[in-house]
Amino acid sequence: MKTVYLTSTALIAALATPAFADVKSDVLETYADIAAAGYSDSLTTAQALQTAVNALVADPSAEALQAAKEAWLKARVPYQQTEVYRFGNAIVDDWEGKVNAWPLDEGLIDYVDASYGGPSDENAFAALNVVANPAFTLSGKEVDASKITPALLSETLHEADGVEANVATGYHAIEFLLWGQDLNGHAAGAGNRPWTDYAAGDICTHDNCERRGQYLVAATDLLVSDLEWMTAQWADAGAARVGLTGNTDAGLAAILTGMGSLSYGEVAGERMRLGVMLNDPEEEHSCFADNTHNDHYYDGMGVQNVYLGEYVRIDGSLVSGPSLSDLVKAQDAALDVEMRSKLGGTMMSLGRIKTAAETGFAYDQMLERGNEAGEALVMGGVNGFIDQTRSIERVVKVLGLDGIAFEGSDSLDDPDAVFQ
Amino acid sequence: MRYFAYVLALLVTPLSAQADSHNALIEGIVEAHILPGFEALATQSQALSKAAEESCDPASDTLRQAYGRAFDAWVSVSHLRFGPTEVNDRAFALAFWPDSRGVTPRALAGLLSEQDPIASSVTDYAQVSIAARGFYALEFLLYDDRLMTAGEAGYHCTLVQTISADIALTSKHILEGWQSGYAVTMLTPSPDGVYQTDKEVLQTLFKSLATGLEFTADTRLGRPLGSFDRPRPTRAEARRSGRSSRHVMLSLEALSSLAAHLAEGDKALSGKLEAAFERAQSQLADLNDPVFAGVSNPQSRLKIEIVQQGIAAIRTIVRDEMGPALGVAAGFNALDGD
Repeated sequence: MKTVYLTSTALIAALATPAFADVKSDVLETYADIAAAGYSDSLTTAQALQTAVNALVADPSAEALQAAKEAWLKARVPYQQTEVYRFGNAIVDDWEGKVNAWPLDEGLIDYVDASYGGPSDENAFAALNVVANPAFTLSGKEVDASKITPALLSETLHEADGVEANVATGYHAIEFLLWGQDLNGHAAGAGNRPWTDYAAGDICTHDNCERRGQYLVAATDLLVSDLEWMTAQWADAGAARVGLTGNTDAGLAAILTGMGSLSYGEVAGERMRLGVMLNDPEEEHSCFADNTHNDHYYDGMGVQNVYLGEYVRIDGSLVSGPSLSDLVKAQDAALDVEMRSKLGGTMMSLGRIKTAAETGFAYDQMLERGNEAGEALVMGGVNGFIDQTRSIERVVKVLGLDGIAFEGSDSLDDPDAVFQ
Repeated sequence: MRYFAYVLALLVTPLSAQADSHNALIEGIVEAHILPGFEALATQSQALSKAAEESCDPASDTLRQAYGRAFDAWVSVSHLRFGPTEVNDRAFALAFWPDSRGVTPRALAGLLSEQDPIASSVTDYAQVSIAARGFYALEFLLYDDRLMTAGEAGYHCTLVQTISADIALTSKHILEGWQSGYAVTMLTPSPDGVYQTDKEVLQTLFKSLATGLEFTADTRLGRPLGSFDRPRPTRAEARRSGRSSRHVMLSLEALSSLAAHLAEGDKALSGKLEAAFERAQSQLADLNDPVFAGVSNPQSRLKIEIVQQGIAAIRTIVRDEMGPALGVAAGFNALDGD
């Protein structure tokens, strides 16, 4: 015991030296480099989605719809790995709702099944159906929606009436427009929107095919421009990078805040555990595409990436550099081992969900009442995330960031607190 | 097995003086705050279940009073979200709220219209969606204009009885969890345990204070307040049974007791906290608005906002003064995220 104590005291002294401050800056540099690469990869894959969507709308066919769906699925892989940047970085958190808001009352956007119901106590516009309505009244104002434009979606419809479930933009709005509602309940199968929803003339199904195409194109254009903006914020001299590196300790706290808040409150709680407890097949992050297993998996990977200071880009190249892991190891090697093994354990649990989903046991089936195997799979992921959060808190303590990270956990109440 | 390991650790680990005082603090909170709270919940929930057996009529005064007492007991421990409440989603099964997607009425309407046989067994009922379990679901069956009379009468009665019995069983399990091991777990941290040090235990208690305040300010008050332009009176907690304001009061009382324990020995801090709690509580009492209907009127709305600000002031003291005094930080909590 005594030896350990002395060793760590010696290290604490070492931490105060200028050399160690350099290491901290290098760690922040790696973190920002991974963000730049992750958002840039998200942009590239969103541009590929844009090409596929434009092709679908210009010349609709089953093949074109399938190509667009595949492009969407690919685009999610790098994006989900960037979610770990949300809660620690106010600039990301303030922007995120435009691209990845969830859950949504999809009846705002397009036709839905009768079982969806109409306006609810919480949301008077849950069944507005913009695709079918070129003009409507929103919070007492007449809205001209004769042409569906990016501005209409982002400025008027998104979060209409102050209700967060009115999601008019981002990945999940596009997902709904590509897949449609998943009406299979807890049975196998994702949403099954016919390609003829985009067809011209008599073969158009569910009416308003042209307006639906306008909506899809507008939402995809917005996604691309939003990702362009965020990619620029992480480039050299970009606002996100500058904000992060201004104060090294606050920057380190931002990394850990992002890791902990995403792991615990957001993914383990809001996105995974709630679904199991409610047995509701719609309580899955990508409920139209049935891609939830990948959403969780790549969220987990993002957390692991920023701790290890490593990210594999979509072209296969590795971005890496000095990491939080290095910092922790220098101070408390056992804690570094603990943190790595918890992160690895979570990835194993998430990998099991992904494996089962990819071989036919879909995430919404796992949520069914009385489905013990499904519950065990999902709860394995939940427990992994919760358990790793405890180690993240220990890391916060060992790096002497308590005071700062404390404010950081208030990330939503007071996003700027992290930078004070 | 674990239980014995912790006892052993307690016997062989020499404790420093500071650890002793921390340990005494933790012991005081467990014995004077936590255990009595969960004992009351178990007792009142058992009484609720008995009352439902005697009369399942939603309009029955006996049933409604028993329901109110059990719900009171829950709200008074609703900030203690760790350990036994989190096993098998027990706390969620007692209290699923807020329900921003309206799942509770939908789930109950589904059970009632299908006369789902799962309601005939309390043990099986544990598999049902948390949205159709616990105090908030029972409120719909006892007080919602539509759901209090929905479905076949006999099935409705069974559902009221089963949900009440499920509440009683869940509350009993939580109490047993505390009595049979978790109290010891908190009193005897060990390197291989849930808590490695007394500090980690204190952090958990501190966190439940901070999170409880956050929930009461942002959710119990924040949801009905909405925004100035768009107040949301229908989002007030348990408004059908007229309990919204009562819940804020009960939670402030419980949090004030926990805060007093955590500030023990620091006179200046205790005094400051006590005054801040008293101010918020008396402002709330003066409102005389059981369901926060006043959020829609600019003048009465301001008074509700003042209560919320009063709680914000307590949160600041807790964060900036109590945290450093205890040497702990709030860390992450389940409310982080969206």
